[in-house]
Amino acid sequence: MAARHLIIGGGTAGMNAIRTIREEESEKSSITLVSAERPYSRMVLPYYLDRSIAESHVFTATARVLADWGVTAHLGKRVTALDTAANTCTLDDGTAIPYDDCLIATGSSAVRAPVPGADLPGVHSFWTLDEARGVIAQIQPGSHVVMVGAGFIAFTILNSILSLGAKLTIVEIAPRILPRMIDDTGAALVQTWLKDHGVTVRTGAKVARIEDAKGKKRLKFASGDLTCDVVIMATGIKTNLEWLKGSAVKVNQGIVVDDYLRSSVPNVYAGGDVAEGRDLISQKPAVHAIEPTAQEHGRVVGANMAGKNVRYRGSLIINIVEVCHLDVASFGAWDDAGAEAASGVKADRPAYRKLLWRGDRLTGAIILGRSGDIWTVNDVGMLKGLVQSGVSLGRWKEYLKKNPFDVKPAFIASKTTSTLLPETVLGRPSKAPGETPVAV
Amino acid sequence: MSVLRLHPQKCTGCLRCELACSYMQTGEFQPAKSVIRVSPFEGHTSYAPYTCTQCAEGWCMTACPVGAITINAVGAKDVLDDKCVGCKLCTIACPYGTMFYDPGTRKAFKCNLCGGAPACAEACPTAAITYEDVATADWLGDFAVERTARVLAEAR
Amino acid sequence: MTPATLTAPKQLKTTSTATTRPGGYAGNLLRVDLTRRTCRAEPWGPEMMRELLGGVGLGAMILYRETAAKGGKGNVSWDHPDNRLVLATGPLAGLPVWGTGGLTVCTIGAGTNGPTSTQANGFFGTNLKYCGYDAIMVQGQSKDWVYLYINDDVVELRDARSLVGLDTWETQGALYKETGLAGHQLSVYSIGPAGENLVRFAAIQGDYGHVASKNGCGAVMGKKRLKAVAIVKGTKSLRAADPRGVVQAAEEIAHDLRTDASARSLYEYGTLPGVVNLSKMGALPIKNYTTNLTSNVAGADMSVWEAPKLRENFDHRGHQCNACGMHHCHMSVIRHGDQKGKIVDEPEYEGWSGCGWAIGAADRDGVAWLNTQCDRACVDVNEWGWLCGWVMECQEKGYITKEQLGFELKWGDVKGSNRLLQMVSRREGFGNILAEGVKRAAEKLGGPAKECAIYIEKGATPRGHDHRSRWEEMLDTCTSSTATMETGNPVHPTEIGQPARINPFDGEQVAKYVAGLRGRRSFEDSLGICIFTSRTRLEYICRALSAATGWAFTVDDALRFGKRTAAINRATALRCGHTGAMEYPSTRYGSTPVDGPAKGQAIRAQWEKMLDTWYAEVGFDRKTGKPLPKTLKELGLEWLARDLWGKKA
Ligand SMILES: Cc1cc2nc3c(=O)[nH]c(=O)nc-3n(C[C@H](O)[C@H](O)[C@H](O)COP(=O)(O)OP(=O)(O)OC[C@H]3O[C@@H](n4cnc5c(N)ncnc54)[C@H](O)[C@@H]3O)c2cc1C
Ligand code: SF4
Ligand code: SF4
Ligand code: SF4
Repeated sequence: MAARHLIIGGGTAGMNAIRTIREEESEKSSITLVSAERPYSRMVLPYYLDRSIAESHVFTATARVLADWGVTAHLGKRVTALDTAANTCTLDDGTAIPYDDCLIATGSSAVRAPVPGADLPGVHSFWTLDEARGVIAQIQPGSHVVMVGAGFIAFTILNSILSLGAKLTIVEIAPRILPRMIDDTGAALVQTWLKDHGVTVRTGAKVARIEDAKGKKRLKFASGDLTCDVVIMATGIKTNLEWLKGSAVKVNQGIVVDDYLRSSVPNVYAGGDVAEGRDLISQKPAVHAIEPTAQEHGRVVGANMAGKNVRYRGSLIINIVEVCHLDVASFGAWDDAGAEAASGVKADRPAYRKLLWRGDRLTGAIILGRSGDIWTVNDVGMLKGLVQSGVSLGRWKEYLKKNPFDVKPAFIASKTTSTLLPETVLGRPSKAPGETPVAV
Repeated sequence: MSVLRLHPQKCTGCLRCELACSYMQTGEFQPAKSVIRVSPFEGHTSYAPYTCTQCAEGWCMTACPVGAITINAVGAKDVLDDKCVGCKLCTIACPYGTMFYDPGTRKAFKCNLCGGAPACAEACPTAAITYEDVATADWLGDFAVERTARVLAEAR
Repeated sequence: MTPATLTAPKQLKTTSTATTRPGGYAGNLLRVDLTRRTCRAEPWGPEMMRELLGGVGLGAMILYRETAAKGGKGNVSWDHPDNRLVLATGPLAGLPVWGTGGLTVCTIGAGTNGPTSTQANGFFGTNLKYCGYDAIMVQGQSKDWVYLYINDDVVELRDARSLVGLDTWETQGALYKETGLAGHQLSVYSIGPAGENLVRFAAIQGDYGHVASKNGCGAVMGKKRLKAVAIVKGTKSLRAADPRGVVQAAEEIAHDLRTDASARSLYEYGTLPGVVNLSKMGALPIKNYTTNLTSNVAGADMSVWEAPKLRENFDHRGHQCNACGMHHCHMSVIRHGDQKGKIVDEPEYEGWSGCGWAIGAADRDGVAWLNTQCDRACVDVNEWGWLCGWVMECQEKGYITKEQLGFELKWGDVKGSNRLLQMVSRREGFGNILAEGVKRAAEKLGGPAKECAIYIEKGATPRGHDHRSRWEEMLDTCTSSTATMETGNPVHPTEIGQPARINPFDGEQVAKYVAGLRGRRSFEDSLGICIFTSRTRLEYICRALSAATGWAFTVDDALRFGKRTAAINRATALRCGHTGAMEYPSTRYGSTPVDGPAKGQAIRAQWEKMLDTWYAEVGFDRKTGKPLPKTLKELGLEWLARDLWGKKA
């Protein structure tokens, strides 16, 4: 009998796994997908929010495509329990689905700060398509939007809100913005940049309460209240793993996985936001909660489910966000206090860089530069390449310390290209997204 | 498949390839939008063109959340404009620095080998860029090592 | 140290006239006032573009309109704050025609104290146009040293005090560091110590080896305390009316340059073949015009001066200007001798002559090194040859003593020459007198020393040939309003109705020929294209221009345009006090070769006659030097006729 694969969660990791199974397998298997939502890409939601794309654009697979791929889909259903002894999962409608192996890829969801009034109507999260729809309906040109939280996700929708013609205020309890993406200097630069572009940022501001105020919302602080039309809470996320409680799958920060992305239960894989897999730089387990990690996890799991034995070397944290035409990106261990670091600012270009080393390998980098600035873009990728490949920089390290803006010669002369060229995630050239075989 | 083979010893840094590329890709002369970039090496005595390797992994392609990067008829990774949402993930995923983003169109762009007739190769007066059926390789590494020795020595 | 902010820099307001603007143009002129410390983008319209094109066409008009002395007759002098320094490109700059990085400098120069048109290539024009400007017009005078920084709409005058004293290559390096850019991402045209110290033949050097060398334009920059112009490769796009047409015309020109007999050697070796070729005609200047025999130079072996050997003597690397396919500009690493390992720019013919033959030096490595020293100091290599050669001759003959100079300088001593160069660029000791240029230094010394000096009475010096066997250029240089050849260097003369060949020592023929070629040079120098890549048929260039702009520009239009520009420059020159009496070569410059191929050919005997013919042919008044009203009217310059001749015109 053909193998029965179960995919729990039709987000990034799940869909990548399904596609890769179909790419890799030699004999057609049975694939079942259970997903609380239709498959779509969360990170595309900001472009739906600013209306530069239609809602239909966010979906990563239609029912038709799933059918073509021979996937049995239970959409809009949740898994409520996993019996790893019986190799069966149970859905919220009571359906039981047996499997030979399964992937847990249920992602994360937004959590709101425990503030009185955070659950009022008109206070939103922005994580799911439904939540995005809720926000879209609320923002008009001239609306005043208050974003609570100044983390990465808040920043991914910042441009969209502004481009809708809304006025934006960001409040953050911490003393600085973007705490998990860039260093203090970078954050300070972005904060001033925002101010210059008409965005009010209040750091170190703790929302005491949110209340209704004649069709508007009022945010109470220790001092200085804010009245606005829309509140978006971007105060953090948590993994969607409550339902796994009591199962044999070992969960730490996320589901603990080995280099083949297997959990403590060998026929149960985990990938994406819920997986605590190897970090490429630290080589330690970590939960990344970023798109590229979910993609790679999904693909590796898919290949392994299809009978390949793909060892995953670990994922690299990479992030980019555009703030009023300023690109802000970071790679790897940019916050490694034990690393050697060098930085530079070119105020007028405008640009900021910070490079971090362990030994003579670049292990982390932060780069800020004008969006579309051709030279920044080139360097952005090259810094990723240096961190990813871990090439020995030798004397280029000293050079880069003095000239953090002159990455190209260091990249090329360190022969980073030859190190990178043989690297693939699955041990073979990738196939184009449309190339996935419909039937094997 | 045929790839752009780079012969850095022959490059004079004239940037003609950039100009031709931008014209082919955009219809206007604007090297800022060229996807082939000429870099200088020591003491402005040495230049070399640099562009997408059409790498096997296709980091840009596998990173795209909406499948907007595909492989075209001549084997080049190519951005489908109507699918691209401009999220820039590909620009940080490509470890070679050869994915670009145009704030004007809000789309990513990259070398697509001009669909099989690369404008840069045609424009290069010294044949420093050729379009050949060979395996892609690190064309610049050795040259760069030689032509940066002085830069490194001076930096000490 | 990290400043706390990334400022969104102040941006200039530029008017987009994209719909009405002819293709090939960026659409704005950049006005920089150093006194007021302001930078402003001035849009210019299609009519003005059609009338002035760019380059010297634009520059000549700006000088004429803006440098008249206030409240009275005459013109402001080169060191007056009201003097303009126009750094112009042209409609072909930044387009894929070969060699379109061009810079034309127009200013009232320190050499002749009259108008200038001097060119350099590189990436100036390209970078500037992509930033959105067709030209920079600098006026005023800064209190402190500044440099002009241009990055698209961000245009700033920045503190350059820390750059003072650096040579031009060091300046570019320092600005690379400061901006974090490299290579052609940043085009830098700057002055070295010679410009800072107002040496009268200081040049403007850019992008490692490209020099706008004539008429002390570097001194003007120095007087204005503008150390450099640094232009980031802009991000704006250039349209062409018919882009395919431009690409096609570019191909046509390229094909011609590659295959045409007169251009082919230039295509392959740039100006290197000039050394041997000109030596055979007696036009290679040797030891300050004291001889025309290469054998009189110690250690000279002409076989190693053949172009391929000259190039291969060095570890050479192509270093082309924007979009250029010529095998012309190169960077070279010296392989032998004291300067082994040093990077130099491969000298042009003029470098080999000025830093070599003219001073009796035939050591290729040494000459190449000295040539780059000149570029770095920002000294015109041509005038350097005449100046240094003159000092050498004067020392040999005892007109300048060892005590006066501070050391002994013998023919061929490149190290000594460099020592002198450094003294001159810093105006140290005797260098202070020499820094005034050949003419003024010679006049200061007077006597027999003066008789040995090569110059034109206007205050300029010739390009690096022995014009005693190249009469066209001597006549052209002496009658020119721009301090260097104004028509010169004919290619395809038959295309514009001139004979393919003339008797080079028949004054009458020479004068007619020079007058007949008039216009072409000024046209080429208005396009933002290199003098060498325009060594093709005028027809092709017109085709490129037409395709770029959408105008139907004919060869006749081109010549008419060029003559108009030359007439305007002439009017400015007259206002600057240039007279017919200055249109003479110095004693040595106009002397008769004593040996070599042109032995005994005496140009001075025919000079008056040549001037007569030339004046008659170009339609200028022999007495006043003014273009005749009829000439001006034919050129459509009625307004200039009124300016020059009053109501009676
Ligand atoms: C607005 C926004 C912008 C973002 N921008 C970026 C960015 O620029 N760069 C970046 O790297 N990352 C970004 N992310 C994060 C990125 O989207 C996630 O890291 C990625 O989607 C994780 O993929 P996943 O497969 O692990 O989970 P998800 O894509 O979240 O998929 C999880 C799926 O599981 C389903 N599910 C959940 N619970 C159950 C259950 N019990 N039973 C069945 N199904 C269930 C969900 O409905 C969903 O379909 C962004 C996220 C958001 C919301
Ligand atoms: S753009 Fe980068 S990642 Fe994409 S194919 Fe080219 S080299 Fe590979
Ligand atoms: S920018 Fe466009 S092509 Fe690149 S990853 Fe995003 S959607 Fe895909
Ligand atoms: S066209 Fe050729 S020679 Fe010119 S810069 Fe490009 S690769 Fe180099």
